[in-house]
Amino acid sequence: MSLLDLKEITKDYRLGKTIVHALRGLDLTIDEGGIVAIMGPSGSGKSTLMHILGALDTPTGGSAILEGQDLQGLKERQLVTLRGKKIGFVFQTFNLIQTLTAQQNVELPMIFQGTRKGSRARRARDLLTKVGLADRVRHKPNELSGGERQRVAMARALANDPEIILADEPTGNLDTESGGPILDLLKRLSKEDGKTVILVTHDPDAAAIADRIVRLRDGCVVEEVRNA
Amino acid sequence: MLKDFFLLAARSITHRKLRSWLTVIGVFIGITAVVALISIGLGLDRTIKDQVAKVFGVDTFILMAEGTFGPQQHAGGSAEEYALDLEYLRSIDGIKVAAALRERTGYVQGPPGADGTSLQGFFPVMGLSPELVTEFESFTGTLEALPGGRLFEPGDEAVTVLGTEIAERLGVTVGDTILVAGDGSAELDLTVIGIMAPDEEESDDSGGGFAMGMRTGADKDTIYVPYETMDLLWGPAEDVLVTLVRSDPGVDVDELAGRAEAALKARGSDVSAVTYNDISEAIGTMTSTVSAFLAGIAGISLLVGGVGVMNTMFTSVLERTKEIGVMKAVGAKNGHVLTIFLIESGLMGLVGGIVGTLLGLGLSAVASSFIGRFFDIKLAVVASPTLIIVTLLGSFAIGAIAGLWPAWRAAKLPVVDALRYE
Repeated sequence: MSLLDLKEITKDYRLGKTIVHALRGLDLTIDEGGIVAIMGPSGSGKSTLMHILGALDTPTGGSAILEGQDLQGLKERQLVTLRGKKIGFVFQTFNLIQTLTAQQNVELPMIFQGTRKGSRARRARDLLTKVGLADRVRHKPNELSGGERQRVAMARALANDPEIILADEPTGNLDTESGGPILDLLKRLSKEDGKTVILVTHDPDAAAIADRIVRLRDGCVVEEVRNA
Repeated sequence: MLKDFFLLAARSITHRKLRSWLTVIGVFIGITAVVALISIGLGLDRTIKDQVAKVFGVDTFILMAEGTFGPQQHAGGSAEEYALDLEYLRSIDGIKVAAALRERTGYVQGPPGADGTSLQGFFPVMGLSPELVTEFESFTGTLEALPGGRLFEPGDEAVTVLGTEIAERLGVTVGDTILVAGDGSAELDLTVIGIMAPDEEESDDSGGGFAMGMRTGADKDTIYVPYETMDLLWGPAEDVLVTLVRSDPGVDVDELAGRAEAALKARGSDVSAVTYNDISEAIGTMTSTVSAFLAGIAGISLLVGGVGVMNTMFTSVLERTKEIGVMKAVGAKNGHVLTIFLIESGLMGLVGGIVGTLLGLGLSAVASSFIGRFFDIKLAVVASPTLIIVTLLGSFAIGAIAGLWPAWRAAKLPVVDALRYE
């Protein structure tokens, strides 16, 4: 059984008086493990697709099935539980909470799952060590470099040990030098930990780590390439 | 989890120090005013009650004409005098001492002067039980005769004590005799045994100032006679102004007062018994009404503080829209977001409450000493634990309630829109 199964997905937005058809009958199947890169020009529906893959939003039509569970018709609170446990997000703009330290940022998803303080703190430190920031746990985001921030964000994404890492342009705000380690990390997560990594990107360098590249245009999949 | 939410909220407050403090200031001004006013009211209440308690003790009550005390006062003025059988009252079980005061206007004739004429006229004649002076000094104040004379003793009959002014006008001194005529043909020659020493000061701090409207103070133009002597002149008492009663030790004074009142009413006396508890209740009603009114006015500023909190919280929600989106993306339920924001606004209220309570108590202490000095009384400073607890809980509630709407808005933000917000 595939991990994610999207069939005939449509998503319409109302933008003022016009209706935008962001996704127009998109089919996509993602199996467990491996890295999938989703590429496409602006307005191709990348972000909308990511929102649906991340259970942040539900499609207007079609069926989106995550591990056999149809996301269509789930209530907001069920979606929250689902993404809290199964999906880790990495954003282009890092989206760390500025008032919290690196460790507290990593603990945040665990707080909402009700994890006990002791095990939470231990796991947060372990994860920060894993991303190479063992000496930065007490730093606040504005005391960290861009690359470091993104690594904190990755540690946060891993907090609840999700099956899927959903990375939206993770290197988009980084130079090659600091973007490299991020991509390496994503690769390791896939190869060593068996996570399924979904990478939404413009960046050919980023797409190069993918096992499979899906290209979107006008809300549909137009090309699928398997990387050797 | 709640503890973590408190931490998150506290972080967010301290992150915006200046704005948070300004918001807190808005809250604590109102709290300060309310706490100070209520505390001053409580202090005033305590002070007055202490004064009354000092006068009453635990075992005394007053009999007054019905309707002259309490909120059910008759409109248009009622009779201030009442009929009383003092001997019967004294026979009631549980009463140790009873002393009464009655007053009439009587025809008085002084001794002939050097030219053979004597001053005559109508003057107030007051009959008082000797016990009034000996047993109820806290009510009457210190009554003394001028040197060379004395006040009444039990068994005195055809004697009188005069106010200074009337003594002068009648031209009498101790040992002289005056004539007082009562009802019908009743008239008595009364020997002057003393001249009442005038009050040294109108408002005496020793408790003489508190006499419940009794004209027992040394009136300069009053003729005083023993209570029983009034019977001889005017017959059984129907003109009693006030009666003071002390109970036997260990008797429940409120119960006794009720019993005595009922027994006297059954015998045709229109009296009502007033105990310390009655007075203290009346004072309590009055002071708490006044302080509730003042606190209510001060409460308006609390409302303004609450609006300040609401304003700050709306700003906070707006500028943290993205943060809310992130929290929701990483698994925060709507309820979590709501709770975090409510705690944040509640905490600002609570901090305002703590600061306001401390300032309010300080202000009330300062104000009390100022008022005390101004009116020359010692005002009690009261820090009521109930008031403090209620204020702190209330200030948290004000903050939380003011934050309810903004927090609800935050919780309801769609996660996709919130994440996209720049």
